[in-house]
Amino acid sequence: MNKPTGSEIRVASPLKAWASRFALLLLVGAAFGLMLIGRTNSFIVEETRTAVTDMVTPILDAVSQPVETFSSALDQAESLANLRSENLALKEQNARLLQWQAVARRLEAENAALRSLNRMVPDPTMTFITARVVGDPGGAFVRTVLINAGERNGVEKGQAAVTAQGLAGRIAEVGKRSARVLLLTDINSRVPVVVGKARDRAVLAGDNTNAPELLYLGPTAKVQLGDHVTTSGHGGVFPPGLPIGVVEGIGEKGIRVRPFVDWSHMEVVRIVDYEMTGVLDFEAQVGAARAAAAAGKSQ
Amino acid sequence: MRQEEGVWHRLDVVARSISPFFVTLLLVLLTLVPLHISDLSPIVPALALIGVFFWSVHRPDLMPIWAVFLIGLVQDVLTGGAIGPGIVGLLVAHALVVWQHRFFLAASFAVIWCAFMLVAAAALAVTWLLTSIAMMTYLDPGPVFFQYLVTLAFYPCLAWAFLRGQRLFQR
Repeated sequence: MNKPTGSEIRVASPLKAWASRFALLLLVGAAFGLMLIGRTNSFIVEETRTAVTDMVTPILDAVSQPVETFSSALDQAESLANLRSENLALKEQNARLLQWQAVARRLEAENAALRSLNRMVPDPTMTFITARVVGDPGGAFVRTVLINAGERNGVEKGQAAVTAQGLAGRIAEVGKRSARVLLLTDINSRVPVVVGKARDRAVLAGDNTNAPELLYLGPTAKVQLGDHVTTSGHGGVFPPGLPIGVVEGIGEKGIRVRPFVDWSHMEVVRIVDYEMTGVLDFEAQVGAARAAAAAGKSQ
Repeated sequence: MRQEEGVWHRLDVVARSISPFFVTLLLVLLTLVPLHISDLSPIVPALALIGVFFWSVHRPDLMPIWAVFLIGLVQDVLTGGAIGPGIVGLLVAHALVVWQHRFFLAASFAVIWCAFMLVAAAALAVTWLLTSIAMMTYLDPGPVFFQYLVTLAFYPCLAWAFLRGQRLFQR
């Protein structure tokens, strides 16, 4: 089927051959230049990246919807098949959860009473921005997803992204209408956490595998299999107490944590707007009060 | 009327000559679509590599080196990793094919597939090495190897679709 094309004749000419070799060297050089720029000036790279992502997100949004519908239809067909057993399991779980609900209500009331008794500073309130996962680059080198919410929806860099099960990652780049979530498992992800009932502090570090590693545990810390890992809130960006996962393995490969999040069914994430709202509200209130006072004086 | 025909004809020619570039860009987007299949994400096939290789072999005039560079750039920008390693990987694949262009002229499908094994291995190895350097860490080559295998398995399906498409266009 190969018809001899023009390029063959063109490559035959020595001048053209030289030119094409030169073009190759030039472009490889340009690629290395981009690598260097990426290392030294991440701002330009980030700007470019968010601009391109913004352009592509609407397309991905449109394409990912039918795919999602299809995959959820498959899931439904699967659940239809084991409806009976699932129903039984859910009834059992419901009974257990109702018990827990009662316990949680009692503890909530007790907690509120104790807090008011101690005059504790209330935690900033959390608000959520819900966004759909529209892109999953995959590959061997990064663990990130693209979502269809950005600056104009109030998403900011550093905010936590959670699913119903627990923490999924944090916002790494924000465009106008898209953002990139760096997942817990990415090699660049570091999250301050507390482990187990003793609440030992540590850092959860991803390494592109499905089970990130606990680093910088204190020498006195006693971590056991099955210990729960939650965000510590240190650094002030993530709210404390977001569930992350359980300790799955302690061994030569370090202490490994299995995240609660079901990575392959992550269709929607909620972005937690935590730190700034409380502070901003307060500043706005103070500002408004001052403005009112100034207006009162001038009258 | 005649001139109009000329315009349409020219548009047609232009559309055909840029279609490999755009189809390969589309493949880059396709790798981004979340498929929600367990454990597929880390080993998603390098579809852009297949596109660049296929057209470098069959229509090198329609897959010039600057197009390869642009495809690599878009891929690296959208993937979110280091920018550059993916571009060099694709450029290496393109250069290898152009270098051995005579060999591909008479090659059968199976032979081209075997050649793809070598070219893809070189391209992905270069990408892995440069990504490790760019991130200044040692990245586990295991997932790259699986990605390589999946890419190899995908090659015949995509190549078949491309060939059909090409025949349809060329008439």
